[in-house]
Amino acid sequence: MSRSLAICHLFPELLNLYGDGGNILTLAKRLEWRGIEARIREVRVGDVPSFSDADIVFIGGGSDREQRIVCEKLLAQKAELKAYTEDGGALLAVCGGYQLLGHSYVMGEETLEGLSLVDLYTDRGSPRLIGNIAIESDVSPQPIVGYENHGGRTHLGPGVTPLGRVAFGHGNDGESGSEGCLEKSIVGTYIHGPLLPKNPGVADWVIARALERRYGSADLEPLDDEEELAANEVMYHRLMSHQEKD
Amino acid sequence: MGIRAAVAQTAGRATTRLLKLAGRPASQLPGRVALALDPSLLSELAKRVRLGSIVVCGTNGKTTTTNVLARAVQRAGHSVWCNWRGANMMAGATSAMLFGKEADWAVIEADELSCVHLLPALEPRWLVLLNLFRDQLDRAGEIDRVQDSLVEALSLSPETGLLVCGDDPLSVGVARRAAEAGTKVVAFGIDEAMPEPPDRVPEARFCQVCGAELGYEWRAYAQLGAFACPECDFARPALAWRARAIDVTREGVAFDVLGPSGGDAPGTAEGAAGPWRIEATFGGTYMVYNLLGAFAASQLAGVPAEAFQRALDGYDPKNGRLQHYLLNGREVVLNLAKNPTGFNQNISLMLTDERPKAAFFVINDDYNDGRDISWIWDVDFERLAGVAAEGKLAVVAGGHRRNDVQVRMKYAGIHAPLASTVAGAIEALGEAGYGANGAPLPLYALCNYSSLWIAKAELDRDGEAL
Repeated sequence: MSRSLAICHLFPELLNLYGDGGNILTLAKRLEWRGIEARIREVRVGDVPSFSDADIVFIGGGSDREQRIVCEKLLAQKAELKAYTEDGGALLAVCGGYQLLGHSYVMGEETLEGLSLVDLYTDRGSPRLIGNIAIESDVSPQPIVGYENHGGRTHLGPGVTPLGRVAFGHGNDGESGSEGCLEKSIVGTYIHGPLLPKNPGVADWVIARALERRYGSADLEPLDDEEELAANEVMYHRLMSHQEKD
Repeated sequence: MGIRAAVAQTAGRATTRLLKLAGRPASQLPGRVALALDPSLLSELAKRVRLGSIVVCGTNGKTTTTNVLARAVQRAGHSVWCNWRGANMMAGATSAMLFGKEADWAVIEADELSCVHLLPALEPRWLVLLNLFRDQLDRAGEIDRVQDSLVEALSLSPETGLLVCGDDPLSVGVARRAAEAGTKVVAFGIDEAMPEPPDRVPEARFCQVCGAELGYEWRAYAQLGAFACPECDFARPALAWRARAIDVTREGVAFDVLGPSGGDAPGTAEGAAGPWRIEATFGGTYMVYNLLGAFAASQLAGVPAEAFQRALDGYDPKNGRLQHYLLNGREVVLNLAKNPTGFNQNISLMLTDERPKAAFFVINDDYNDGRDISWIWDVDFERLAGVAAEGKLAVVAGGHRRNDVQVRMKYAGIHAPLASTVAGAIEALGEAGYGANGAPLPLYALCNYSSLWIAKAELDRDGEAL
């Protein structure tokens, strides 16, 4: 049976700050290489998003102004998005998109209402937390590596699992050692932009959750990830051997 | 000049001499030493500029524009202080102005976020704003912040006029706010429909005033073009300096310039009007804007048009921008590509070369490059997949982040082996580096900032400059 997944990319015109498109490209290629069709739906500025037939939803990061527009649009669809994630729908949210998952976040002096999909909230701290980051996470056999750049400090509710533990870098708040959130099939993280290319374990975790929900089982064929894992390993080694310069 | 400034200048000069004796570049440290002794030294030095200063800024193209403009001013018979090598913060500008009793003009390249310090110190006649693209977000922050900083810079130097690219919505956004605060604004741009470019609009799709999606009559590249907001009055301004009859080929660019005329053009070399034909043996569409901006600035500085063209004729800055080499019988083209727009323009330029070829994409992540290289996923490398599949392009990944470049290529459908030098790249190509007749294929080495100097040093040492 030929399989097919619908990927819903929310407002790529607004939320495309740091190479976020690399995540969609990675999902699409890793499906294609396995003979699974990827149907990519870009939700544009004037569109009303629908999640009823989505298999993977992606929210990227944007500038403050753009993030506010997106949040207002999504608040209008909050119930539908909530129903999607309650049903186990896969949702990947990075950077600014991650902050939108919680009850509230802060922009300038203002506290804004979030989507309340996960029990967390974000306030601001100083300084901005900027730099390369590596975390250990159950969703990926390799450490997850990438780059973070955020003024927000995200605080997880008591029952919420972080995506991982910080091995290098700052994470949710620069203090607790936790990074991101993981709940049902929702992944939120400050590791921005191209999270998935160098972290194929995360990409496949998201794909597997979507396949299980759609087809009952994932049956994920392994791929040759030599180049991806080499890039992951080189960066992890650089960070952990303190060759990272500031 | 007070004692403090004199001491600072002397210390800066001594530092320059020591660095030159040691064979080290003297474009930054002398200024840093001098400014440490007298933080206000630059405004003291600015008093010794007899006729005026022009500051050039913008995300891409400012080094070339500054160099061309400064050469043209020299060709007109003036002495010039210039930070030729692109050291574009306070220390670099100060280093450029330490020697000589005075100069007729200062032509200074400025980092976008340094304008807020440079403009009040230099009080230039003009700030040339070429374009604004996303670049080095980890260091510069979002474009909004860069715009705010430029508006503030202009407010701190109220006599400075803004010569702005009218085709760039982001630069026009700055100009609009500055004009409201009293800055004199003069716009330049392209005055004919351009063929649809193959790249995407990476940013600034939305109105700077009301947020609606901008419409375009035509687009030149990235977000530059004849734009207008469908909802409000934000649109391309009237252009004082216009390029027409544009010819962009592999060999370079040529175009006519029309200037303002009569009472609109006081202080220009020829009372403006034109047209003048400008020809250069380098660059793509983006170069039309750089040269148009440089030409307009040179006119406003009273430089005759023929002096500008003579400056272009002999232009060979040897600064790694579009430099051609011969390396073991192979043509190597070296160029800077440090952000998505720069890379996309380089890809366009490379694809106008229809010969089978090889490319070496080199990405470092040193401080000067920006530590975050997420932007490589915003480059349209997918445009290369077709020629690569036909066997007409082979790619090698280089730089400290070569593994990331390799993964990026993999997801664009191209297998790219790794290498750390130009010679290594040629070795990694193996047979793919040679054409059917056994001749070595031309190699395009596209490097971001710090990697450019490393590749250039290798090519200067082992190759022959063309």
